[in-house]
Amino acid sequence: MATQAAFYERFERHAGGVGLKGTSTHYCPGCGHGLAHKYIAETLGELGIADRTVTVSPVGCSVFLYYYLDTGNTQAAHGRAPAVAIGHKLANPESIVISYQGDGDLASIGLAEIMGAAQTGIPISVIFVNNAIYGMTGGQLAPTSLVGQKTATSPYGRGHLEGLPLKMAELIAQMDAPVYVERVALFDAKNRVKAKKAIKKGIKAQVDRKGFTFVEVLAECPTHLGVTPPEAEKWVKEMMLPVYPLGVKKDLLAERDWGTLPAPTFEPAEVAAVVGAGAEAPQRFAQGFPQTAWGDDIALKLAGSGGDGAQTAALLLARAAIHEGFDATHIPSYGPESRGGTSYADVHVAAHEVGSPAAPKPHVLIAFNGPSLTKFGPAVAPGGVLLHDTSVAGEVPAVADGVRVVGVPFTKIAAELGYPITKSIVALGALAGATNLLPKESFLTAIRVQLGGKKASLLAVNEAAFAAGFEAAQPAN
Amino acid sequence: MATTVENPRPKAAKPKPHLEPDLCKGCLRCIESCNHHCLMPGHEIDPRTGLIPIEVNLENCTACGLCFDACPEPYGLRPEIPEGQPEFVRPEDADHLKRPPRPKPQDVPDALRELPSGATLVLKGNHAAALGALLAGCRHFYGYPITPSTEGAELLARLLPKLGGVFLQAVSEVATVNHMYGTAGAGKRTMTFTSSPGFSLMLEGVSYMIGAELPGVFVNVMRGGPGLGNIAPEQADIKLACRGLGHGNTHAIAFAPSTPQEMLDLTRLAFDLSFAYRNPVVILADGYLGQMTGRVELPKALTQPGLPKWAVSGDASHRDNLISSIFLAEADLEAHNRHLDDKYARMAREARSERWQCDDAEVVIVACNTPARMARGAVAELRQRGVKAGLFRPITLWPFPIDALAEALSGASRLVIAEASSGQLEDEVRLAASHAGLALPPIAAVRHSGGVLPQQDEIVAGALAALAREASATAAPRPAAPCDCSDPDCGCGDEE
Repeated sequence: MATQAAFYERFERHAGGVGLKGTSTHYCPGCGHGLAHKYIAETLGELGIADRTVTVSPVGCSVFLYYYLDTGNTQAAHGRAPAVAIGHKLANPESIVISYQGDGDLASIGLAEIMGAAQTGIPISVIFVNNAIYGMTGGQLAPTSLVGQKTATSPYGRGHLEGLPLKMAELIAQMDAPVYVERVALFDAKNRVKAKKAIKKGIKAQVDRKGFTFVEVLAECPTHLGVTPPEAEKWVKEMMLPVYPLGVKKDLLAERDWGTLPAPTFEPAEVAAVVGAGAEAPQRFAQGFPQTAWGDDIALKLAGSGGDGAQTAALLLARAAIHEGFDATHIPSYGPESRGGTSYADVHVAAHEVGSPAAPKPHVLIAFNGPSLTKFGPAVAPGGVLLHDTSVAGEVPAVADGVRVVGVPFTKIAAELGYPITKSIVALGALAGATNLLPKESFLTAIRVQLGGKKASLLAVNEAAFAAGFEAAQPAN
Repeated sequence: MATTVENPRPKAAKPKPHLEPDLCKGCLRCIESCNHHCLMPGHEIDPRTGLIPIEVNLENCTACGLCFDACPEPYGLRPEIPEGQPEFVRPEDADHLKRPPRPKPQDVPDALRELPSGATLVLKGNHAAALGALLAGCRHFYGYPITPSTEGAELLARLLPKLGGVFLQAVSEVATVNHMYGTAGAGKRTMTFTSSPGFSLMLEGVSYMIGAELPGVFVNVMRGGPGLGNIAPEQADIKLACRGLGHGNTHAIAFAPSTPQEMLDLTRLAFDLSFAYRNPVVILADGYLGQMTGRVELPKALTQPGLPKWAVSGDASHRDNLISSIFLAEADLEAHNRHLDDKYARMAREARSERWQCDDAEVVIVACNTPARMARGAVAELRQRGVKAGLFRPITLWPFPIDALAEALSGASRLVIAEASSGQLEDEVRLAASHAGLALPPIAAVRHSGGVLPQQDEIVAGALAALAREASATAAPRPAAPCDCSDPDCGCGDEE
């Protein structure tokens, strides 16, 4: 060997590396895992990449892969190795990440994780050792067990309820994202040479940033087949091969390039721009907390159907109040439908910290439709204000003492402006006109900030809608 | 026409195999690989292994090398040392052949970098937590969409690519937590947003992360359960976060924010604590808080994360590291659990709470998350009515701030626990008090579930009723014979 294979010089993690365990594996005589390990270790040595390799050990007989392979090592939960491998790869895109799994781990409990990983195409190298049986737990049925195969949990042979053998290489190859899939075997010298080549090719593809690769290795488990090692080799050759044909299932290495990932940035200027730090504070217009009969924590409810804009208006109200230095909250409540269901918003504006953000007894109600008027009108606190849209059907219900009812045709005004969608802004204007909650300019500033630079053309329309609502709600009207 | 080209370089002599018999398990794979019958099945048991190694006779060996590829043992059939070089030695004795020592990994500390100050932000809770993560230096998000947590993920899907970060929508919550396991294992800051059913699915991986001592932040925006339940707010994952983080001896700091500002601040803090203790941290929010918009001030600095020395980060200095939760020997696992217990004990110092108007309170209301805001409103209302009420708000549910609660209760004769679950917060209060040897005043519960939150007026009524019961219990003559009822509020067991 021209280069050193990436095995530890002494297997310190194998029972402390004392005695024979320091230099030999825990595998039974004739097991295929040792060969797969060796081909990986030699590949890492030959490609000179062991320093930057991370190997993910599975659960199963090969759970102790990290005893032997001299790389960064991570041991994963049963079936989850490919998901863990992706976590490592995305954390350090320059690292070479190998996900090693047996058939129970990959093809049974981890089926979702391997399919999910393969469909991302993220460059990890999967080595799948298929010996058609569970080893570590003591010879139970695997998804890759053969029809009629007797195991500890199929004592009468794989039959009716156990389904048919799962061909993982073919399954992975038919997905679009993987770039290289091959099935190899270990039962004779010719096939071992091919196996070594395939494992090297799969790992090299990652070095070359090609994408997701998958090598299935048909392996022997003499212990749980209850045969000698040579008989196990014969069994793989004669029994497994007809079900699991060898060969390259997919090779797009010449045409695919997964590329690279950008490096994360922590530059304050860049982060500040993204999170909105350092933005200029909007101008303030209010002279102290609004003087109303409602105390220092004012509750409002805006209620309508989805699409009425109750949430938009509520958010603008909360934003305007926060710009003025007050505390404010907005809680939306939707029906299950995306559009056309109920849409309620509770808003609080408080001099100090808002207490309960809910508004079961609001000081101000803005009702966008008849059902909301009926439902919430009677709940308006004594001395409160009830604003409602007179352009939609609905009877004003009996209200508490001193509740001022203000009707404004939100929908009609917005329609006449040519922008029915500004109904909620008309309502906001009406709120400003009917109460002295916040100065007009506070609302208009919140609208400007919310629109940002992107929809500046809409600003004039919104300003007109606000002004019309404001006028319509003046006590003189 | 074919031409013959001389090989410009003569091939180096290939080595022949060498075998230490005790490193051969006698699998016989190599026999078939040798066309010259140099390798033969053995007949004698090696007393050191109890196995029968092959026999080697290299008379006809052509040094083809095929037998090396046939031997599954790392130090089984190996190339013989060519003549003139040091003679073959067993790998464990080969001091002179040892690889040069590797650079030892060092902790790279986090750095704080100043942020410009500016306008107060108007953010919903989920968005605030997402920004908290970015400012904490998290650049790796994994998640699966689930209402009512998804806005957090959606915002990060927009923002992370602008910061060179990774946003990956996983195929499931199971995949999510394992992506986090990998990224955390590489020493990087990672998080997810989820909601109750999703958090249930993640718990397997959370147990592995705790076992392997990996950091990660889980924002669980709790919704109604059990089962599919609904998407309205509940607080019924308190039990999971405090007592049920998967199998085994698990605990994690569990925060209960109650404002969008705390969603940002506690998420940011969660990353620091997660790395300080090498343990996941859970943010338990509720569906209301996730959706609630409020004012948020950004911190004065952001965190540029360093790299811990334990990371498996795919480079030479970290090559010897291992991330694993396996401890095969019983004594080793017990020692690991004792180590975790010590760590959990140290986490007690992270207990956080807020006391409001508790100094002279006769009745103390305990509540967290959004219900704590209803409780704050209730305390204000009760004070207006002349009732000495106070709010005790645990900010960490685990570790529970029991010392602070004891102080808050020093003058109180009644305790009201308001929560959106069927007593999970109360269980934490009772358990913490029991461990601390703290006698609690009679407890009155104001509970809702299914997506309904306890409202301010209900908490007010609950507190007034509790005080009234106390008044009548004091006024009533003591029963002649001890009553045997099990009602903790009966007063029959009270010693005056």
